[in-house]
Amino acid sequence: MIFRTRRLLLTAPALALALAGLPWPLSAAVRPPKIPYQLTKLPNGLTVILSEDHSTPIVHLSVWYHVGSKDEPKGRTGFAHLFEHMMFKGSKNVEPEQHTSTISSIGGQVNAYTTEDTTVFWQTVPAQYLPLVLWLEADRMATLRIDEATFKSEREVVKEERRMRIESQPYGRLQEIIYDQAFTVHPYKHPIIGSMADLEAASVADVRDFYETYYVPENATLCLVGDFDAAQALELITRHFGPVPRAPRAVPRNIPREPPQTKERRLTIEEDWPLPAVVVAHHITYDGDPDAYPLHIASKILSDGQSSRIYRKLVYEDRIALAAFGQGHIIEHPNLFYAVAIVQPGRTPAEVAAALIAELDRLRDEPISARELQRAKNQFARDYIIGRESVQEKALHLSHAVVLHNGDITTADGEFDIFQGVTAADVQRVARTFFTPENRLVLTILPRGRGPGGVPGGQGGAQ
Amino acid sequence: MKPPRLRAAGVVPLVLAACALASASLAAQDSARWKAWPGSRPPRPLPASDMRFPPYEVRTLANGLRVIAVSQNEQPAVTLRLLVRAGSAQDPKGKAGLATLTASLLDQGTTTRTAEQIADTIDVVGGALGTGAGSDLSFISAVVMKDSFDLALDLLSEVARHPAFKDEEIARQREQLVSAMKVSAEDPDFLAGAVIDRLIYGFHPYGVPGSGTPESVAGLTRGDVARFHRDWFVPNNAILAIVGDLSPQEAFAGAERALGGWERRDVPVLAFPEPPPATRRVVVVDKPGAVQTEIRIGNVAIPRKHPDYLALDLAVRILGGEGSNRLQRVLRSERSLTYGAAADLQALKQAGGVVAETDTRSQATGEALRLAVEEFWKPIREPVGEWELANAKAYITGNYPLTLETPDQIALQVLNATFFELDLKELETFRGRVNAITVDDVQRVSRLYLQPSRLSVALVGDAGVISAQLRAVGFDAFEVVPIDQLDLLAVNFRRGSPQASNRQP
Repeated sequence: MIFRTRRLLLTAPALALALAGLPWPLSAAVRPPKIPYQLTKLPNGLTVILSEDHSTPIVHLSVWYHVGSKDEPKGRTGFAHLFEHMMFKGSKNVEPEQHTSTISSIGGQVNAYTTEDTTVFWQTVPAQYLPLVLWLEADRMATLRIDEATFKSEREVVKEERRMRIESQPYGRLQEIIYDQAFTVHPYKHPIIGSMADLEAASVADVRDFYETYYVPENATLCLVGDFDAAQALELITRHFGPVPRAPRAVPRNIPREPPQTKERRLTIEEDWPLPAVVVAHHITYDGDPDAYPLHIASKILSDGQSSRIYRKLVYEDRIALAAFGQGHIIEHPNLFYAVAIVQPGRTPAEVAAALIAELDRLRDEPISARELQRAKNQFARDYIIGRESVQEKALHLSHAVVLHNGDITTADGEFDIFQGVTAADVQRVARTFFTPENRLVLTILPRGRGPGGVPGGQGGAQ
Repeated sequence: MKPPRLRAAGVVPLVLAACALASASLAAQDSARWKAWPGSRPPRPLPASDMRFPPYEVRTLANGLRVIAVSQNEQPAVTLRLLVRAGSAQDPKGKAGLATLTASLLDQGTTTRTAEQIADTIDVVGGALGTGAGSDLSFISAVVMKDSFDLALDLLSEVARHPAFKDEEIARQREQLVSAMKVSAEDPDFLAGAVIDRLIYGFHPYGVPGSGTPESVAGLTRGDVARFHRDWFVPNNAILAIVGDLSPQEAFAGAERALGGWERRDVPVLAFPEPPPATRRVVVVDKPGAVQTEIRIGNVAIPRKHPDYLALDLAVRILGGEGSNRLQRVLRSERSLTYGAAADLQALKQAGGVVAETDTRSQATGEALRLAVEEFWKPIREPVGEWELANAKAYITGNYPLTLETPDQIALQVLNATFFELDLKELETFRGRVNAITVDDVQRVSRLYLQPSRLSVALVGDAGVISAQLRAVGFDAFEVVPIDQLDLLAVNFRRGSPQASNRQP
């Protein structure tokens, strides 16, 4: 019912620069405990991950389908997400909306989200309802109801979702502008929620074809975390999901590759936004590539905490940006590392763009300090630890490892050690690889029809 | 159980609510895949294990600081949350935004450390530190790995007790606040919420935007900030929660060491005016070209510590909450008018309100508004169904273990109860009290607190498209304010017009 956006952290304070000469702890970060798991595959191809956690009498069940907006052909954008909505519209033994109402009536939580690469359905319920949630998920994997009337009404709901999230909020269209400009042929070019025109053009026949192609056991990963007995759970899973038939054909993966960008691109456009925005984006690598880990470290150096470089320079010291950050969006196929700043009234987009580029150049031209590297690693350790407290978070890490790292579930914990092993030279190496002028896109987005500083033409400031 | 209202915080997961459309769908159902799949009914649950409220300990230090400790050993992390019982409701007359500005400055330099040194101290150990203000409270939160517990506690103590409030930092934070307001001033979601607050609470402090206005923030001085801090940031006016991988003994010993020397002082006693009686008033903030209208409707209700709270909470959940959401069923599932519709009981410290919210394409504004108002009438005219109430109760009681999963969730519930001065035993008896509510209780509180004929309405959208629709559904009297003329502190919401305030000196 939601699509996951790449969030614009308007309020997140983030800055850089360590203070020389102070003592600081350079101890290795506290190691989080490993998440235990069992990994199996049913004969029909369904991947099953089990992880017992008896600390609270609840269970979390997620089903990841390895299909997202990048699997949508041109002219059918928004389809994976629209389909996600259809999955709540009933199946052979479940009435439309019954999945949601049933989970609510037992005090559970249920939702779903769509990304570029995956569509994820999840529920967390009191532990005794494990059989019920398995029954619900299996029924819609096997026999979704697809009819014209529900399809059309749900399409209207998705259009309202697009109006609300994208078209009505200041900066709501920022992500789709960045991706539309940065990509030429890879489907990462288009937004997850799709365009109004494509949503309108989608047909119920498309829904059926999509379902039969992608919503098959071979393309699904079921993850169960919480208070259950693994042997009993596996027996229940086999009973409910075992009869779901195998796919009639292999899941297609013919996604066009994005050709390398060969020269810098700069452009200026206008939007109905209050203050100008500046974006500096570079094409980077994919999730799981060895070069991805130093890029995560670079994101921390630039934007985690008020001592991070971009926050400290642009927001705190120079006061040229209301908000600013830089981070890698590291997903299944090569995506972007982008820095964004909202320009303070009275300052110019040009000086802000230059400041963002200077911070990326600095990562390329000089190694980060030992202190900054340790800080980034400690911040990683914190993210690892506090990101693994709930059953939902544990399921997320296990499923992500299996679905997006070619079935390698060991990365769910193993990445901790990979991160702790990253060196300053690694960070500089990847910065040299990716943060080059010819691989750069510089976007300036000015408020439509207004003077500099975002003030409507002819009027004074807000004060 | 909602946490104290923190304007800065949080994403509430939108969970769709109940309804069976019962449409027979035949189209795709003749496939072999469908036919081969057996008919079945929902399986029975496994044996249930009971869940009691997890252990926690509360102590009060000699200086009056209340300390809550929740211990868990699953992940090697510790979270600290300090709540101070003063927020934007304590902003003096004409000083809207003072609590927000003060809170934003706490970590921007102390008498012994600069802003940069504070950031460096917490960042280098991989911790995080945050400060902010809500309507009735200010907060400082920190999370660190367990080996940095002392460091985090010392830092929290320092920023709570000894902020420097340097002029340079005040200027910087003020600039940030005012620039952020330029963005908010064009955000329909923010504006609709701010206008309905004004309509419901009038010039009671809850009616005034907590972040202030560009004009009010421009007038705030260092003296104002220092006075606010001196008046309210005292241990006998604060609650500290220490949560995570350490024993209650370690937690209390740490609190005593770092904060035991914080000096007690009497806090001012403020008299709050009553919010005005519910009045039908419709305000349209005109945003030409908007593709959607943000809709808020509501009226004044009750504060959190009111005997009718639980019954009204259930009534509002049936109207538009998780577990049973009539608004969502009518507006989304049946009519596809919106992505989401919900109603919320804002039960705050001094007062409260019932607010329903949705958004819809501009052309459907009148219809969505009419339908939403109609839902306010229904529980008054006829009792809610037994099954509907049972579902709403089942959601809340069944959801209980899900709300107690992480130590931070547990601590938030204890903090919440402590903040609202509730009996902590209520945490244990929660499910029993929910189950005791009857259909008659729900109708009684609906009649008392939902006032459909006197609902206030805030709309942000294209007045040119909306106006005729409003008249067509019976809203003949409404005020239109151009978006760039909106002043949340003006009596008629327009810049340059009189500003009224009954607020405390």
